[in-house]
Amino acid sequence: MIFSPVGGTRSKARKWYLLLGVALTAALAAFLFWAAGGETLLRRDRTWAQMIATKDFRVGLDPSFPPFEHLNGAGVPEGYDVELAQALAKRWGIEPKIITIGFDSLLDAVRAARVDAVISAMPYDERLTRDVVFSPPYFESGIRLVVPRGSPIAGTEQLAGARLAVEWGSAGDMIARTLQRNEFADMEIVQYDTPQAALDALLSESPSADALLIDQVSLRLAQGSGAPLVAVGPVLETNPYVIVSPRAAHQLAQEIADALAAFAQDGTLDRLEDRWFGEIVEPSP
Amino acid sequence: MKRRIRFGGRSRLVWLGSAALLVLLVVLVSLWWQRRGDVALGPQRAVTTINPKVGVHTRLTDEVEEWKIKRSLEMVREMGSPWAVEYFPWAYVEERPGRYNWAHSDMVVEHAARQGITLIARLGYVPDWARPKETTPLYLDEERFADFGRFAAAFVRRYAGKVRYVIIWNEPNLALEWGYAAADPVKYTQMLRTVYPMVKQANPEVQVLGGALAPTNAPEGSEWGMNDLLFLQRMYDAGAAPYFDLLAIHAYGWHSDPDEPPDPQAINFRRAELLRAIMVANGDSSKRAMITEGGWNDHPRWTRAVRPAQRIAWTIRAYEIARDEWEWLDALCIWAFRYPWDAKSYQDYYTFVRTDFEPKPIYEEVQRYTRGESTVERP
Repeated sequence: MIFSPVGGTRSKARKWYLLLGVALTAALAAFLFWAAGGETLLRRDRTWAQMIATKDFRVGLDPSFPPFEHLNGAGVPEGYDVELAQALAKRWGIEPKIITIGFDSLLDAVRAARVDAVISAMPYDERLTRDVVFSPPYFESGIRLVVPRGSPIAGTEQLAGARLAVEWGSAGDMIARTLQRNEFADMEIVQYDTPQAALDALLSESPSADALLIDQVSLRLAQGSGAPLVAVGPVLETNPYVIVSPRAAHQLAQEIADALAAFAQDGTLDRLEDRWFGEIVEPSP
Repeated sequence: MKRRIRFGGRSRLVWLGSAALLVLLVVLVSLWWQRRGDVALGPQRAVTTINPKVGVHTRLTDEVEEWKIKRSLEMVREMGSPWAVEYFPWAYVEERPGRYNWAHSDMVVEHAARQGITLIARLGYVPDWARPKETTPLYLDEERFADFGRFAAAFVRRYAGKVRYVIIWNEPNLALEWGYAAADPVKYTQMLRTVYPMVKQANPEVQVLGGALAPTNAPEGSEWGMNDLLFLQRMYDAGAAPYFDLLAIHAYGWHSDPDEPPDPQAINFRRAELLRAIMVANGDSSKRAMITEGGWNDHPRWTRAVRPAQRIAWTIRAYEIARDEWEWLDALCIWAFRYPWDAKSYQDYYTFVRTDFEPKPIYEEVQRYTRGESTVERP
């Protein structure tokens, strides 16, 4: 029969409208529940449950990036990330189990549930937020403008006429060229083949540069070795390191976020940084 | 008094008919709107360079927006690269047998031609209908080679006068690129034997590139692939010579500089010379070659990467070798110009230009080289 809103089928039509309305309302409610993350209320976090049951926290990392992770003389992984994993496990009353995996396979290891989390100086990637969960950042490794302590340069706006050191071809070099092209045509870019050579140029007795663009990891290592350098202005190209956990592990993700907030508050992250990069020595007053 | 509109009988048919026509009109207008060319091709351009062998491998396959295709190719020209390799996946063009959708390919070919860039078209990637279920899009049964040949023939016929070079398949010596079947030089030769005459019949001007082998020292019997030197020799043994006009070579440098001597045990840039030697040994010295992939990576962590400064210096040196030492080579196309989106892995550190079109220093240094400008003195 073809539905018609007139004539003898009007009462049937009302029933159909009613049914349609109920169905649409139910669908809308289900959608809103799902969109608000309501499904997590009904779902058990199996990853977290397994961690607690086995008392194992399986952490994937690629031990090729000191000081975050490397193999020591005995072939055992150590570094900032290893100790961060240990601190997390200790907070939860379980044992960390470090699993070494190549960098490009780390996220697949999370997806395939081969590890509970990845802590391996892993940069945040918004395109993968539907596949895995990224924690709040625990280290910002982006590009910074660096000057000798006491320099009058306090930000990129003061680079007119300055000599800016970079590692040739690096992200810092790219930012320097953009600054020169768009803002400071009279700024001189001084290119070096390695980050260390660029750092040395800034620190020598007769420096061949006034400022330097370099990543925070290289800067922090130099500062830890006693170099009197400071970062000025905001991060010029952000690259935050985060902890990665499985998409369905909502409780684990929350526990990690809570722990990182607590570690920032109680100084744990600062202590890890000082231990693996070296303390920043402040000048005597 | 309210006036009732009776919705039945003839009136209903008229209403339904009108509504259907309206829907059809809207669909047709939106289809036209989506397919019309919004981006002007612009004036005819030419590439200016001191080195006519400079090339890149672009990645426009998944680039949806036409302006980005145009901008990429403009930047290729502005870098001084007269050559570009681009991938034209069979599955994207012929989703159903015999029904071709050339819209995207047309855009790439037209914009490349307008920028004065010579395209080398890489063909492959099997549509669902041409392969068994549970296989990857890189798997093709021998019985389906003729289907691939028909697509390749349709491609070269459509782009006659605009695309003069086609590469048949990619890295067939790797199981991954051969649909996770064992690398098989005899089967690949059979593919060339089937496809080559079909392409030539459709457009005799077109030059067919074979090989495009991945540089690897995989041991004999490896499930992952076959040594490229061995694979090429076995292609010749299987009678491949008459079925390709140029050899496509992949020449990655990994950690070594481009002047490191060739060595069958080493994967380095000059491994290309070993492949050339095999051509010569098999009486194919009159045939020329192109490097359709190669170069260096400057990822800060990847174990096969080098420092950015090394990547720049070695890339420029490689272009010089191609021009000054390798007479038998027509083009050196470095992987990869730009990706449509960040891979967020070591792959991003192969590119010359970021996804947002910001040129990396290597882009500007190669541009400086192709303009004949001296390299900036560094301390």
